[in-house]
Amino acid sequence: MAKAAESSGEPGTTWPRPLFAGLSDISISQDILVEEGEFTIPMRSHIREFDRSTLNESVQNTIMRDLKAVGKKFMHVLYPRKSNSLLRDWDLWGPLILCVTLALMLQRSSVDSEKDGGPQFAEVFVIVWFGAVTTTLNSKLLERNLSFFQSLCVLGYRILPLTVSMLVCQLVLLAEQGPINLMVWLFVVIVMFAWSIAASTAFLADCQPPNRKALAIYPVFLFYFVINWMILTFTP
Amino acid sequence: MKQALVDDTEDVSLDFGNEEELAFRKAKIRHPLATFFHLFFRVSAIVTYVCCDWFSRSFVGCFVTVLLLLSFDFWSVKNVTGRLLVGLRWWNHIDEDGKGRWIFEARKASPQRSVATEAEARIFWLGLVICPLIWTVFFFSTLFSLKLEWLALVIAGISLQAANLYGYILCKMGGERDIGKITASFLSQMVFQTASPRDFQKPGLKGLEIHKH
Repeated sequence: MAKAAESSGEPGTTWPRPLFAGLSDISISQDILVEEGEFTIPMRSHIREFDRSTLNESVQNTIMRDLKAVGKKFMHVLYPRKSNSLLRDWDLWGPLILCVTLALMLQRSSVDSEKDGGPQFAEVFVIVWFGAVTTTLNSKLLERNLSFFQSLCVLGYRILPLTVSMLVCQLVLLAEQGPINLMVWLFVVIVMFAWSIAASTAFLADCQPPNRKALAIYPVFLFYFVINWMILTFTP
Repeated sequence: MKQALVDDTEDVSLDFGNEEELAFRKAKIRHPLATFFHLFFRVSAIVTYVCCDWFSRSFVGCFVTVLLLLSFDFWSVKNVTGRLLVGLRWWNHIDEDGKGRWIFEARKASPQRSVATEAEARIFWLGLVICPLIWTVFFFSTLFSLKLEWLALVIAGISLQAANLYGYILCKMGGERDIGKITASFLSQMVFQTASPRDFQKPGLKGLEIHKH
């Protein structure tokens, strides 16, 4: 949903010069509301062509566009490439899906069908989201220019390897419990853990000055460690 | 001196165009599907939350269903129904240097075609305002009845719906900074009369770098 905003305002100005979605091509004079006096007319023609394409697009196009964006981000976790534009177009659908999947898998089924793993589900859900928000806030405190939602998006998408290791865990539990299975599973868990951390720090540490990289990476490490711990200690 | 704009909600046949266009302009609800979905996800989230005990005893199933409905509602109101029903839009844009900015825009009204019909605007805003209030009530009822496992869901619901409400209010506010005045005039318009054309203008968004990240 990110669009290029033609803004040449300096950081200090209070006037972000938004896009004017003037679909009605009439009355240019509509813009001239000189109440405040600091009004400047933005570069309309250039913006308008770009803008029209999404303002009037059909709902189906919107849905497909967003779905493709989510898919691309998942691919990016699996095959990381230096792609700034992809990361700038953030969304939180991926983290939501991953969090719900993880929480569903981490439930404990109990004998009593009334309490069907409810507390564990809510617990995992809260830990993941609260942890992600806190870690992001920490990164933001260290580096002010970082966008909150973008970091949250990056952290959330990197839960994918952990979800995969949880899946493997479930498969292993379904199969026979032998030492080989256990070794494979431990190996997978460690690899996925390292992958998540590496993928996140590639993004987050870039933005920090060198002497603060550890300060930024440590909470991320802790966050993924806690999730990993829940996976490791999972017994149905 | 502020210029007077044509009252865009008058059904004045200025163009001699086709009948379809005329019918479109005169229709009370131009986007029936969008209007339906605007309310559908919100209301079904609330209904599911309230009635989940009757349908199934599964906490998880109910939680996930309500959460999905809330997410779909957030997405559809933000990306589709706001654009179609009232011509407002807001999003977050991240610059090359990593700074995030929130952008709010409103479609200008034209003499020939109003941005929103009265019915649609009313449905849109009422839906947008009432549902977060209901979720706030749920918050207190959950808190005091100590059903704390539902608290996460209620908080998620409140934040998603309040985010949409806030975003659209900022779109609507435009240059006005006195939010009290805007709210008052808004409520009176919704209840008593049609929206005035002034509200659909988009003056400078001074001072709206509120969510600068």
